[in-house]
Formats: sequence, structure tokens, C-alpha cells
Amino acid sequence: MKLREIFRFEVEYRLRQSSTWVYGGILVALPFLMMHAINGAGGYMNAPWGIAFASIVTGLLAVLVTAALFGDAATRDVAAGMHPLFYTAPIRRADYLGGRFLGALSINAVLLVGIPIGLLLASWMPYMQPGKFGPFVPAGYVHAYLLFILPNLVLSAAILFTVAALTRSTLATYLAGVGLLIAYFLAIEFAPASPRLAALVDPFGGNALEHLTRHWPPAERNTRLIGFPEILLWNRLLWLGVAAGVLGLLHLRFRFAHPGGAGRRKQRPGSTDRERPGIAPGGPVVVPSAPREFGGRGRARQTVAIAGESLRQIVVQRTFLAILAGALFVTFTFGWEVGDLVFGTSSWPVTHLVAASVLSGPVSTIVAVLIAVFAGELVWKERDVRMSDIADAAPVPDWVSLAGRFLALAGMIVLLQAVLMAAGMTLQALQGYTRFEPGVYLRILFGLKLADYLIFAALAMAVHVVVDHKYAGHLIVVVFYVFTMFAGQFGLQHNLLVYGSDPGWVYSDMSGFGPFVAPFVWFKLYWAGWALLLALAANLFWVRGREAGARRRVGMARARFTRAAASAAAVAALLVLTLGGFIFYNTNVLNEYRTPFESAGLRAEYERRYKRFEGAPQPAVTAAELRVEIHPGEPAADLLGTFRLVNRTGSPIDSVHLVNVDPAIRTRSLVFDRPAERVLVDGEGHYSIYRLERALQPGDSLRLSFDLTFRPRGFPNSGIPTAVVENGAYFDRRWLPMIGYQPGFELVGAEERREHGLPPHPPLPPADRSEGRRTQLPGDADLVAVDAVIGTDGDQTAITPGTLVREWRENGRRYFHYRTEAPLPFGAPVLSGRYAVVEDRWGDVDLRIFHHPGHDFNLERMLRSMKASLSYFSEQFGPYPFDQLRIVEFPRYTGGARAHPHTIAFSEGSAFLTRVEGDDVDRTFFVIAHETAHQWWGGQLVGAQARGGALLSETLAQYSAMMVMEKTLGKEQARRFYDYEMDHYLRGRQVFTNREVPLLEVEDQKYLHYHKGAVAMYTLRERIGEDRVNTALRRLLQKHRAGVPPYPTSLDLYAELRAVTPDTLHPLLRDLFQEITLWDVGAEAVRVEPVGTGEYRVTLEVAAKKVRADSIGVETEIPMDDMVEIGVFGGASGDPLYLRPHRIRSGRQSITVTVPRKPERAGIDPYGKLIQRKKEDNIVKVEESAAAGGVATDR
Amino acid sequence: MELQIRNLSKRYPNGVQALKKISLTIPQGMYGLLGPNGAGKSSLMRTLATLQEPDEGSVRLGDIDVLHQKDRVRETLGYLPQEFGVYPRVSAERLLEHFAVLKGITERRSRREVVEALLRQTNLWEVRKEKLGGYSGGMRQRFGVAVALLGDPRLIIVDEPTAGLDPAERVRFLNLLSELGENAVVILSTHIVEDVSELCSRMAIIDRGEILLEAEPLRAVDELRGRIWRRTVPRTELREVEREHEVISTKLLAGRTVVHVYGETSPGVDFEPVEPDLEDVYFTVMSGHCGGRGVEPVEVGV
Repeated sequence: MKLREIFRFEVEYRLRQSSTWVYGGILVALPFLMMHAINGAGGYMNAPWGIAFASIVTGLLAVLVTAALFGDAATRDVAAGMHPLFYTAPIRRADYLGGRFLGALSINAVLLVGIPIGLLLASWMPYMQPGKFGPFVPAGYVHAYLLFILPNLVLSAAILFTVAALTRSTLATYLAGVGLLIAYFLAIEFAPASPRLAALVDPFGGNALEHLTRHWPPAERNTRLIGFPEILLWNRLLWLGVAAGVLGLLHLRFRFAHPGGAGRRKQRPGSTDRERPGIAPGGPVVVPSAPREFGGRGRARQTVAIAGESLRQIVVQRTFLAILAGALFVTFTFGWEVGDLVFGTSSWPVTHLVAASVLSGPVSTIVAVLIAVFAGELVWKERDVRMSDIADAAPVPDWVSLAGRFLALAGMIVLLQAVLMAAGMTLQALQGYTRFEPGVYLRILFGLKLADYLIFAALAMAVHVVVDHKYAGHLIVVVFYVFTMFAGQFGLQHNLLVYGSDPGWVYSDMSGFGPFVAPFVWFKLYWAGWALLLALAANLFWVRGREAGARRRVGMARARFTRAAASAAAVAALLVLTLGGFIFYNTNVLNEYRTPFESAGLRAEYERRYKRFEGAPQPAVTAAELRVEIHPGEPAADLLGTFRLVNRTGSPIDSVHLVNVDPAIRTRSLVFDRPAERVLVDGEGHYSIYRLERALQPGDSLRLSFDLTFRPRGFPNSGIPTAVVENGAYFDRRWLPMIGYQPGFELVGAEERREHGLPPHPPLPPADRSEGRRTQLPGDADLVAVDAVIGTDGDQTAITPGTLVREWRENGRRYFHYRTEAPLPFGAPVLSGRYAVVEDRWGDVDLRIFHHPGHDFNLERMLRSMKASLSYFSEQFGPYPFDQLRIVEFPRYTGGARAHPHTIAFSEGSAFLTRVEGDDVDRTFFVIAHETAHQWWGGQLVGAQARGGALLSETLAQYSAMMVMEKTLGKEQARRFYDYEMDHYLRGRQVFTNREVPLLEVEDQKYLHYHKGAVAMYTLRERIGEDRVNTALRRLLQKHRAGVPPYPTSLDLYAELRAVTPDTLHPLLRDLFQEITLWDVGAEAVRVEPVGTGEYRVTLEVAAKKVRADSIGVETEIPMDDMVEIGVFGGASGDPLYLRPHRIRSGRQSITVTVPRKPERAGIDPYGKLIQRKKEDNIVKVEESAAAGGVATDR
Repeated sequence: MELQIRNLSKRYPNGVQALKKISLTIPQGMYGLLGPNGAGKSSLMRTLATLQEPDEGSVRLGDIDVLHQKDRVRETLGYLPQEFGVYPRVSAERLLEHFAVLKGITERRSRREVVEALLRQTNLWEVRKEKLGGYSGGMRQRFGVAVALLGDPRLIIVDEPTAGLDPAERVRFLNLLSELGENAVVILSTHIVEDVSELCSRMAIIDRGEILLEAEPLRAVDELRGRIWRRTVPRTELREVEREHEVISTKLLAGRTVVHVYGETSPGVDFEPVEPDLEDVYFTVMSGHCGGRGVEPVEVGV
């Protein structure tokens, strides 16, 4: 009965608070808005899976609401001072705690119904694009609520209620809420390797959901219900149990006792009886007089005193120390594997990675939380302890109070950064890296990030002052923070409009902050102006005295708006306007400002206007002369060039179309060597048409001269150009004019095309149609002879493909003259920088690595890979046609790696900084081998512009690299690679927009031509042997090396492979390349009987299935009749006792083999060589029951 | 039923010894506990009200072991703490009803009657529907009394109830309390001597965790008759007088300093004998002339 009363009272009380309704509103608005902001991977966003996922994510944010509700329920009595009345009433702990908990729980549970409602509302909005939402499936919402929202609520409520009731501090409760979220993210990040275990130990179910739906193809993702799968139920049960345990703990530890009297701190020895003054000394009190100052200096001192005292109060709070500990914890856990690269290898913890990625990434959010929380604490600190009357009556001006507190907040941030810097250095040292660069730390942590934080702190403080409710203030600050992070999704692109934002920055060891500093500073100054205005507002609305109520405060604010305030406001406004104007001038006048939609619109327009010219006869570039002057310091580059264009078509050409794709390039002049009239120039698409006075006859040539310049002016709102920087210039063909309509410039994404009113993108021509035989490169050049002279600063080296003919100095600059020996694919990369060079030789080939001094961790490895690759490839596929091979590093403003003739350009940090230790997979080795392989595949062998073209370059490069890796580093490494490739292929399948096609028809799906391709080729090699595969590739290269039409397609590759594959394996070849095939095999049971002579007979029951899938994953079963490996393993070593392919058909079957020793495990396809979604059931353990021949099963 | 306190001691984590082996026997009726601030009154009250654990000692209320049978105590306890707050946005009537249920009055009709009776008695009936946040200090105090009196308690502990009340409210409040002594043990802990002299039939004086005196107020005053002397002293001579005589208290009367001095015989010609009151008892005990410091408390007139 008492429980019921307490429960009822709690519910009534909660319903009467306006904050409850505010929370409810937020819980509906959040998912609603979220549905607007995310662009799904093309599937229905209200598919049951998507609803569940969105519910979990919103549920995470809702933990803050839970913290507020349960924190209040548990601490209200002590906070209001009512606890003596409650604690002396005859109620049991269980009733008191239970009633409060259940009351808050029911309210919270009802509020959380807002999440499915918000999601549902979003799907009903009429303005949503058709196709984004599918039919309404009520079960999806109900399942999400019951499986995820409710249990998650119970868990977080139990924890937060316990924390609140035992610490009696709402601040601690809030921070526990935040800590819960952080712990959750960490748990996801460091999930145990076994997916089942990861799915179990995940408290909020996100991992479990991911595990369940991991390999669902798009068709299933749209419609399949989550249902009540076993592992999910176990997970929920486990965590509900944890919640119950926590509540039990609370019941045990909670006492109806006066807070403060029951401390467990050590008792100090020796009683300190306070000395009492004598009775009634009588006589009045005489106070010595002291001078007082209220002028400027006095105010300054008061400000500093307030700042110091406030800072001290913050720093000694246990909650602050707890958060600090949390930040350090996050630093060390996230930072341990800094540089999130593939294969779980990490990067050397170079300072900028630690400072920028670790300390400014996730830790940044923690710092923001700290700022928000302590801004509130600072503003409320007197009122919290009921000292406000005394403090408000002291002769301290409002601005001094405000300034002092802000200074304390700033001091806290500085302190934090110092601690983080120390942590970062410790992290580096622990990993054995001692090149601390304190200058970089200082610039990033105390320069860039500090500016960000201070501006945010100003906002947080102003919000807390104006909004006179501590928890609403926190909520608003959090909402604001989240909003600024996702503003882009809501259409606010311009950095002048989103509080505190800037165009972003990237730090490169090669070129520092490059062109990012100046814009950053201007934007921060602009926002500082706004921060000043906020500070003024805070000053006007500073809470002092007992007058609450909006109208009163507005009146007070008006009264405070003195002349001084007005002039300060005017100054701030002036700052905002002038800086804003200056920035606007830079971003919108000197540069083009375009939203992503507008930029896409330009490309759509380009297609609409000029696509009709596609395929019109155009001359091809056969030779190029380039004179480049790079000025890294400015930065700028000037380029004079001449193309020799030849009419290789069968008909006369009467006009030449030119396309300039890079908007940063300005064409100063463009001249043909014969009369030509410009009939069209389209500034937007940079498309121009020149009509030749006399048509160019087939076989004839003409010369085109151009004068280009790259001189960026001011800075844009985003996408600051980095092609030329102080150290590490890198630009290529795309600066130069292109001949003829370029299909590569069109919009590709299906959704984008729809948005701009374009029909769906026509697919590439199929591989077997002869008309599709055109080169794969930008369609205006085959092989080009290049003669380039590049000038750069006196201390830099310039590099481009070709032999270095001459090198000289002139006017303090250095000049390099390169000439290609024979015409080469025309990528025209130009790099320039202050490199350190390491040299080596392989046979007659000069090997060189141009790298940033200091990035010398992997040079040995890279050289080794180059040599091993050159050796293997030239032996297996064909000779290497050049006398040099170079690797050049370019700044990390751009990513990736690009292979050019005998020149491989690598982004800073990718291969150079990868850290390979012990038996890590040597990613650096692999990547170098892959890029070197491109010298054959893509370099010597150039495919046709047709479907499946990528097979010839990327897939073959993957295969080649895997082979070199296996030969040099061992089969184990290659095998791990193989597993990785398989996993990424399967994962790539789930993305809806990646319509899957058989390998031979791949267009642009990376997960196919990289990952499935690697799987397919390696599998083939396993079955038919290395010699055969390599022979096929060698023949392919021999036939098409010339590089003239007709160009090879994937069908040519297939034909060569088929020729070397025995007939019995032709079906496998078809399965891998021509179809989308998936297998599903599993071992169900194993029986073991000893047969006397120490041998054992093993009988394995297996089930097998084979399906073909279509582009969105709808499967059809087909009869299976394939050779699949059966393996039996025993003992500690991983070596098989038996491993041979057997013929496996669809359905169940029994296989019996004999092995020499006692087996422990047996299975079908134990090494996962078939493409399967579920590999866990391939192997079963043997449980001994010898004589009886018991059946053992294990899953 | 009487309350028996034996050897109660309590030391706080910061080293302060709040209670030093306190022993008292408190019968039914109004019992005053007098002492200066920091004497240990609130610590003692909180311990008796089951909110704090002592380090050693025992307390029995009739046959209930107060320290170890907290639930039983709470069933018959009314506690008005020295400081308490209220939920500002709840009405007095609703909150009192809530507490009535918590105190075991679960049947609705009788609960309504009790709540109404208490609200009327504490003169809050007219304002019962107003939010507690708008109550004055006196009204809040009376609300606290109403809560304390729910459920017909047998042990009523009132801690510094009249501090902060204006004279009229104080009289009203004391009137309220005066009725209670009939059937319960009522402990009134205060530093305002008049409260004790007006209400209590028995009292104890406590200072620095020790009981200095246990007595009936009237008898204690009687004992002092003829031993208290008064003199008006100019401020400049005050120091000298303090040195030479046993001054127990110094007061101001219309701007002039008046000292009370303890003496078996007249201390001097300027001194006139004065009729002692409880305040004099208090000051005499505090200055060590009567009752022990570190000595067995003197029981006067038991």
C-alpha cells in the first residue's frame, strides 16, 4: 500500500513538472529530425531493422533524460531538505526506493514511446522523397520498443537511480549518464573478437543488432523483422539481470540516514575539542579599518580572485576528477590503436595523429561535456548552496562576476589541455615513440582546439545565465552542440551561419597546417565577436537577487543596458559585421560558394547540355610539352603547355571540344596553331567548342597551346585547395584541358541524379559488345609522349614520369627536365617537395623512395616489397618496361595512392606510418605490391571502357599482391588477408545502393573488384595452381600489351582463365566470375570410432546448399555438386590430420574418412574457402565416446 | 513509558566529539534540552530520531530498543527537525496526506479526518490548498508540526522550533506544543531559555557533548535564590569587574551594561540582590558554578 502511494505520488509529481513535457517533446523531436538528416544506404528507412537501429541511437541520447528524471526522483528529498520528514516515517527502504523508481520508470517508459512516434511521423511527412520509406510495418516499431527501448531504459534507469540515491548528487548522476554512453561506445569499439560474445556483452543491443543483420542483403533489409532471435533474448536477459543486481545493491547500501554524518573517512586521532571563548566577554567589537578600492584595478583583482576561487572549487570536486579520469581512459583506449587502418594494424603514434585524432576527436566531446556541465555549475554555484543572498548583496559588479567565472572556465580548459598533452606524450612513450613535437601539441591543443573550446564555453555560459533552470540549460547546450555537429545535414552549409564553425583543418607533417590557418583564424575571430555579444547578453541577464520570472528579468536587462553596455555591444556588432563581411567577401566573392546541391546541379547541367556531343569524333592527344613553374610559398603554379592532337578517327573533325574540370584553374589563353573560332564558351561547365576553319582530316594533326594558372584567392567556405602547398605539391592531368565530352564528370549516384531530374545513369557497355571498345582512361589520350620542364623552389625536388634529362639551377630555383622514353598512359602527375631519398637497385632498375624526412619507419619494408614484386611479376607476367621505380609521398590533405608509370604517389601516413609488429599483417608490404602490380595491370594492360573493366586492373593487382605476399611473408599472412577480403565482400553486399553484379560485369563496386575479386582469384589459384593462373595472365598481357584498340575486356581475361582450367572445374569458374553464388555448408554431427591400429574412423554429417543471388540479394537455390574440402584436425597444432576435397551435393550427406590419430575437430570447408555468410557452423568438436560411438554435436 | 538514554557517545569523521557518554532518563511530558549552539543537541536529537548511529550507548523507549528497532520507533515517532525544506510546488494538504499514508494511515476516510484535524489545529486549514513554496517561515514550521503529529506519536522530538518565528507565531507554536505532553515523551531542544521555562516540567542542560545539569526548572531556580546579584556597570569598568567578581552574564538594558554575579554573599555595595530566573540558572551552570564540568552531573531537586 505504501509502495503504491509513493508510486502514485511520484507519478503525480512528475506530471506536474513542465520539464517532463519538455523531455517528452524532445524525445519525439529527436528521432523525427534524425530521419531527416540521415540518408540511408538506399533501403527503406522505416524497415524494421532501421527502426530498431534508430531506436537504439535515440535511446542513447535519451539516457540524459533518464538521468534527469531518476536523478530528481532520488535526490529531490535531500535537495529540498525534506529528507528528515521522510526518513523518520515508518516506511521500508524497499517501499521508498521501489515507489520512486517505479514511478519514474513508468513516466520515462511512456515518454520513450515518443521515439517510435517520432520515427513514424517522419515517415508520414508528405515532403519526404518517395522510395525513402516503405510500407508501415507496426511490428517493427513494437519489436524495437520491447526489445531495445524498454530493456535499455530499465538498465540505464537502474544504474542512474542507484548512483543518484547513493551519492545524493545530481551532478554525479548526469556524469554517470555521460559515462554510461562513453562506456558503451568503448564497449563497441573494443568488442571481443567472437561476434557471439560481442553480441552478448553489449548492454544496449547495438552490437547484437549489427551481428544479426550483418550479412542481410538489401532485399531482406527492407522487409525482414528482427523477430525474437535467441542471442538477442539472452542479451536482454543478461542485462536485465545486471539491472536487477544493481537495484539489489542499492537496497543493500541505502540508509535512511542523515547525509554527512556517516562518512567513512579515516577518523583523525585525538579529539579536537573546540576551544570555546570565555563567558560573556562583554564589550563591543572594534574592527580595524582597511582601505577598499572599487576602481579599475580593484575590479581586475576581484575578477582574478573570483576566477581563482571558482577554478579551485571546480578542480577539487570529485566529479571533475572522475571526468578527467574518464578522459584519460578514453585517450589511452582509443589512442592505443591510433590511426584506424585496415587489418587492425595501427600507425606509429606520430604527434599530429595523437593530438588531432585522439585528443581532438572523441576526447573533444568529453571536453565539451565538461564545459557545458561546469558552465552550469559556475553560474549556479551560490544558488546551489543557498549563499546567493549574501553573494548578491556584495559590492561586486555583474560583469566582474561573469568575467571571473568565464576565466575560471577558460582556466579549466587550459588545465585539461595540459593534462591531455601529458597523456598524449605518455601514450607515445608507452608505444616506444619518442619524437614528441611539443610545438605541434601546443599549436593544436592550445591554439586551434582552445579557440574552439573558448567560443563554445562562451555559449554555454550565456545559455546558463539566460535560461534560469540548470537542467534545461544543460539540455539546451547539448542540443546546440549536437546541432552544430549535424548542421550540414539540415541544409546549413555556410560556416558563417553555424556557431563556432570553420572550414576545417588538416595537419600534415610535410606542410603543417598549410592553407588552413588563415581561414581558421578569420572565422574564429568572427565567432569571437558573436561570443562577445553573447557575453554581453549574459551580463544583461545576469541573475542577481530574488526576482525570477521572464518579464522581470527583461526589465532588469533593459535597466542594465547603460551607455557602456551599448558601446560594448556596438563594438562587438561592428566586429561581427566587418569580419563577417571580410569572410563573406572571401568565400562568396573571391571564390564560388556553392552548396553541395548546387555543385551537383552544375554537373547535372553539364550533362544536360553537352552529353549529345558524347562520342562525336575528337582528336586524341599523342604528345604533350609542359613548362611548369611551381611557387610553393605563395602558393601558386603557372603552366604553359602544348598538346599534339591527332585525328585517329575515320572522319574529318570540324570542331574541337575542350573541358576544364578543375574550377581552381584559370585559363589565361588557349591557342590553336591554325585558324579556329570559338563558338561556345560555357563558364559554368568550363566547356568550350572551337570550330576549325578547315576540318582536320583523318591522320592529320594540330597543336593546341594553353596558358594556365593556379592562384587561389582568399579562401572558400569549404574545400580549401591543397594541390600546391608550401611543401608537397601534387597535381595531375585534371588541371589540363580535356578533349571532348568527359563522361567522368557526370553525376553518378542514383539518388542525386533523381534529385536533379536526370534519368538513371546508363550502365557501361557490356563486355561483349564490340562498340564498347574504347580506352578506359580519360577518353582523349592513349599513350602520350611527354616532355616536361618543371621549376620549383631551390630546396625542393620536382618529379613526373619520364627520364630525368637535365637538372639545373636558375635564379635561385631548381629546374627538372623530364622526357618519356616511349609514349605512356597520360596521367601527368607532378609532385614537388623537400624530400629525403633512399635509393636501391633491383637488377637494372633504379629504386627510389622520396619521403618526408622522419617518415622512415617502413622504408626497408617498402624496398623489400618493391624488389619482391618486381621480381615475381617480371618472372611470371612479363618484363618490367622501365629502368626506374619511384615512390613519392604527398601530404595527407588528400588521401589514397595512385600508380603512374614507374611512379607511385602515396598519401602521407598511409604506408609510411603504418606500424607493423611481430606477426601483424604487413599492410605496407601488401599495398606497395598492389601499386607495383599496377605497373602491369592498368599500366601495360589497359582495359576497355566496358563493364568488368576494373577486373583487369584492380582485381589482378589484388591477386598479384597476395601472391607476392604469400611468397615472401608466408601462407599464414596471405590467408589472413583472404579472410579479410571475404568479410569485406560480404559486408559490401548489404549496402543497398551497391547493386551486386557478377564479377565479369562489375562497374564501380569497390567491394566487388577489390574484395570479391581477390577472393575469386585466390580461390581459383588454390584449386588449379599458381602456374596455371599465372600463365593465363601472362598470355593476356602478351596479347594486349600494345595498347591499341580493340582493348581487352573481362571476357578476354575469362577466356584465358578458362583455357587453363580443367573441364571439371569450369563450373567453379562460372560460379566465381559469371554468377553471384553463395554457399551454405555446415557440419552437423561427427562420430568417431577407433579402429584398433591407433587410427580412427571419422564420420561427418554435413548439410550443403548453394544459391544464386540477384542484384539486391534475393536468393534462389540451385543444385550443388562441387568439390569442397573436408578437414579433420587433432591436437594442439593447427595442422590437419586430413584435408582433401570431396564431392558435395545439396542436402545432407555423410562422409567417412580415416585418420592416423585421435581427432578433436572435424568440419567441412574448414578454411572458409567457399563464399559463405555463416562460417561458424563449418566445424564441430568431437566429444569422445569411443566404443558406444556416441554422436557429438556442437555449434 | 519513558525514554532511557545510557552512555551515548558520537564522534564525527572530522574529529569532533559531539556526544560524550550521555545518560538521561526522560519521562512522559515536556522535557527541555537546553544548551548553546554546537553543544550536541541536534546530534542527540537526530540519534533519537533514528537518523544517526552513535558510536556507543543504548536508548530504550519503553520496551523498544531505539537504536536497533528503528522501524518500530518510526511507527510512533514525530520529528520536527531544526532545518527542513518542502517541495515548493505541492500543496500542504496533498503532502500531508502523502505523509499520512506513509505513517500508516491507509484508510481513506480516517486519513481525511486526521488531516483535516491537524490542519485546523495548526491553523493551516485556510491555506491548505496553496503551494508550500509560498508559505512563510512560521507556516512551514506549523506544517512540520502537523507532519510530526500524524499517527499519534508517543515520542515527539522538536529541534529548535521557535528560532526564526516572530513573537506572535512563537506564542501560537508553544501553545500547540503545550497540549502534547499528556501522553507522549516530548523533547524540546532549544537554546532559547524562555521556551523551556514556559513549557517544560523537566529539563537538562547540555554543553560540549556532556550533560551539566538535570533538574526541574522551578526547583533549580529556587536553589539559586539569594545568590544572584546585579549591578549596572559603565562599559569602561567592565573588564575590571569581570576580573574581580564571578560574573555569570552581561546584558544590555536600554544601552547600559548590566552584569549578574554569582555569590553566596553580596559581592559589594554596588550590587543588589535579584530574583533569579531560569536564565540565571543556565548561565550559572555554564560558567561552572553549579553542576560539573567533567564531574558527575548534579541532580537537583529530583
